[in-house]
Amino acid sequence: MRPAKPKVSRRDFFKAGTIIVGGIAVASAFTPYDAVLIAAEKPKKGKWYGIGIDINKCIGCGKCASACKLENNVPKAPFYFRSWVEQYTIKNDGTIIVESPNGGIDGFKQSVPTNEIFKSFFVPKMCNHCAKSPCVQVCPVGATFETPEGIVLVDENYCIGCRYCVQACPYGCRYIHPDKGTVDKCTLCIHRLVKGLQPACFEICPTEARIFGDLNDPESKLNYFLKNHTCMVIKPHLNTGSKLFYNALSSEVR
Amino acid sequence: MPQHLKRLIGVFAVFIILFLILHYLLTPSSFGELGHYRAKAIPENAFKELHYAGSEQCSKCHEDIRKDKAIGFHAKLKCEVCHGPGLKHALYAGQFKAGQLPDSLLLYKPAERKDCAICHQFNAARLKIQFDTINTSMIHQINAIEHNPFDKITKVEFKCIECHNPHQP
Amino acid sequence: MEQHLQDLYEVLSKVDGYVYPNEIELNWSILIVLYPYITGLVAGAFILASLERIFKVHILKPTYGIALLTAFSFMLVATMPLISHLGKPFRAYEIMITPHSSSAMAIFGFVYLWYLMVVLLLEIWFDYRRDMIIWAQETTGVKRFLYRVLSLWTTDISPKAVALDNRIGYIVTVIGIPSAFLLHGYVGFIFGSIKANPWWSTVLMPVIFLFSAIVSGIALVMLIYILLTKVRKLKIDMECLDTIAKYLFYILIIDFVLEGLDQIHRIYEAEESFEVLHKLVFGKLFFTLFFMQGLFGTILPLLTLGTFQFYKPKEKIRKIIYLAISALILIGVFFMRWNVVIGGQLFSKSFYGYTSFKTGMIGSEGYLMAAVWLIVPFIILSFLLWLLPPWKKKEELPETQGL
Repeated sequence: MRPAKPKVSRRDFFKAGTIIVGGIAVASAFTPYDAVLIAAEKPKKGKWYGIGIDINKCIGCGKCASACKLENNVPKAPFYFRSWVEQYTIKNDGTIIVESPNGGIDGFKQSVPTNEIFKSFFVPKMCNHCAKSPCVQVCPVGATFETPEGIVLVDENYCIGCRYCVQACPYGCRYIHPDKGTVDKCTLCIHRLVKGLQPACFEICPTEARIFGDLNDPESKLNYFLKNHTCMVIKPHLNTGSKLFYNALSSEVR
Repeated sequence: MPQHLKRLIGVFAVFIILFLILHYLLTPSSFGELGHYRAKAIPENAFKELHYAGSEQCSKCHEDIRKDKAIGFHAKLKCEVCHGPGLKHALYAGQFKAGQLPDSLLLYKPAERKDCAICHQFNAARLKIQFDTINTSMIHQINAIEHNPFDKITKVEFKCIECHNPHQP
Repeated sequence: MEQHLQDLYEVLSKVDGYVYPNEIELNWSILIVLYPYITGLVAGAFILASLERIFKVHILKPTYGIALLTAFSFMLVATMPLISHLGKPFRAYEIMITPHSSSAMAIFGFVYLWYLMVVLLLEIWFDYRRDMIIWAQETTGVKRFLYRVLSLWTTDISPKAVALDNRIGYIVTVIGIPSAFLLHGYVGFIFGSIKANPWWSTVLMPVIFLFSAIVSGIALVMLIYILLTKVRKLKIDMECLDTIAKYLFYILIIDFVLEGLDQIHRIYEAEESFEVLHKLVFGKLFFTLFFMQGLFGTILPLLTLGTFQFYKPKEKIRKIIYLAISALILIGVFFMRWNVVIGGQLFSKSFYGYTSFKTGMIGSEGYLMAAVWLIVPFIILSFLLWLLPPWKKKEELPETQGL
């Protein structure tokens, strides 16, 4: 004997079907499925600061690193940097050597004989002012934050010094200030920005390898730079929304 | 409800009320205005002492050097790259006569070979500099140890600036 | 300060390869090793207590009270290593006042409070209320006063009230098990959620932390139980000890499998960070990982406890072995935390080099401070055992209906 069919008439079936399909259609009209992925959302209005660094232009003078320490009263000892320069040397046999003696402040000495070098270049490093900052995410008290203009700042009067953000920063851009006991990092020289000046490291760069600007302004120098160069961020797989874009970034750089 | 449960709940209630009062009292005033942080922290960060003045300040007094520099390789080089932060100097040096500046207002005058070598010492990483079309200059590289190290007769070390004018190298 | 800088210069001279300049200083040291360790002991001890209460493993009765009080005394201290490690310890209250909802550490504050206040405190209170009222009548002086205060001046010890206490205590324990899981899983999440650090960033981290926590907590209660019966010159309940050992064995297997799985997965996937971690494991972590954590802390106890499932030596020998095994496991789990916390900071996030570890003896960062926070819970525990001795509890009523 066949099992009794559930009593669903054709009419009921169409009725229910129409409601479901129509419902989905109507709902999707209100919230269309957006397949376009945006790497990092930015505010529609106001400034949204970003940084460009042209590795081809950097001569490794380390002036940015020293200017940063002088401008921001960063402790002089070589364990505290808001901005530093690394030299990458790839030897003919494929070995990668990375150096940053005193953050590059005292200049670089070429440690590998020229004939053994496959290629060599300098990479200035600083806070990436990520739009999806891992450091901001982990701060337990809200002592570090992204300003509406896209600058990641530290509230040193509120920071408890738990050092969780230091662990969370993939770029090693934070340190604990030895005298204050709170975390310290690049402020993009916000105290200069409000006076209409450039951040110290951008001001000082002798070859204009550093470009600073507003990502929301289509006419800005930074957008010109990004349009005309193949730019890349460091550790893109971590999806930090980094706003520090390098031209000519080699895959060795991490 | 039994008496002991009432008391227990009372203790917890007191605890929670105490917590809420503390929460109210201890939350900083501007917290949460812009996000999960003290909005006042932005101006606190923004009002810090400056040290670098910017080269526009320099040419106000040192127009001659700016003109000198403008036709040389170092035309685009800002003064403070070599001379160090100069805001104090720019603000207060005008009050003193030339040659009478207190030490605190004097700027660094790079004269040693190492000062020039910091950019011009040969380094393989400086080889491949391709400036874009606007900037056709290449950075000159020397071996700071071998490049005219000392006077052949007196054996005194040469300084770079004895042959090169740093403002017009 | 000067000393600190000197230490850093010494570390700088020992850096292998390249590390970011800010990474030379190790930010989380021995105190942050202790923090997950102590929290883990709490969670583990509580799970053991709940075995008796919820899962009705009545053979564990002699350890129920001890486990509960152990959990409580370690819980009181659990956040202290973290707080004393802060750069600004007096701002610690901010975690409770303006907790950042996306921060694992901030939410931990509430998980901790929930566990301390709602689970441990309540369970102990409902468990001891009747006894405290009886003891208050039997004692005098300060002790009497303490019992009065702790029982909130209640007097109701009618069978009905006690039955209610039992019932609520049972419910609290039921809530307590997921809470204990949450508590320690959360500590694992503090590390596991750091995507910048490939040594920490694994979904298994909370689970691994949880099971190693249970292992360490059970081992701790076992150790305390053996020592306590020794001190009180009583005959140890071997059956109870064997049962604890049996559970210890099972959970140790799970723990071992999970940690092995994590490593195998890491080795097989061999991501960008593989080389730097490989060298780390066979270099700076070799001794603490393979010997302290692996051989002494896991393999040896596992083999011994496994053997005991088939062959049981004489009670006297077994007791000594149990003592040794629990101590080994405690040391092993400590080094597991060490390998996670310290190991995760020894390599550079640039994956090009390693820094080294040096702890100053003096100051809040030293071993001294760490030792203090390891000893204090035992002092609290002795006080609690004096005040609320589980062995002096009056025989409870026969199983009350409604449970």
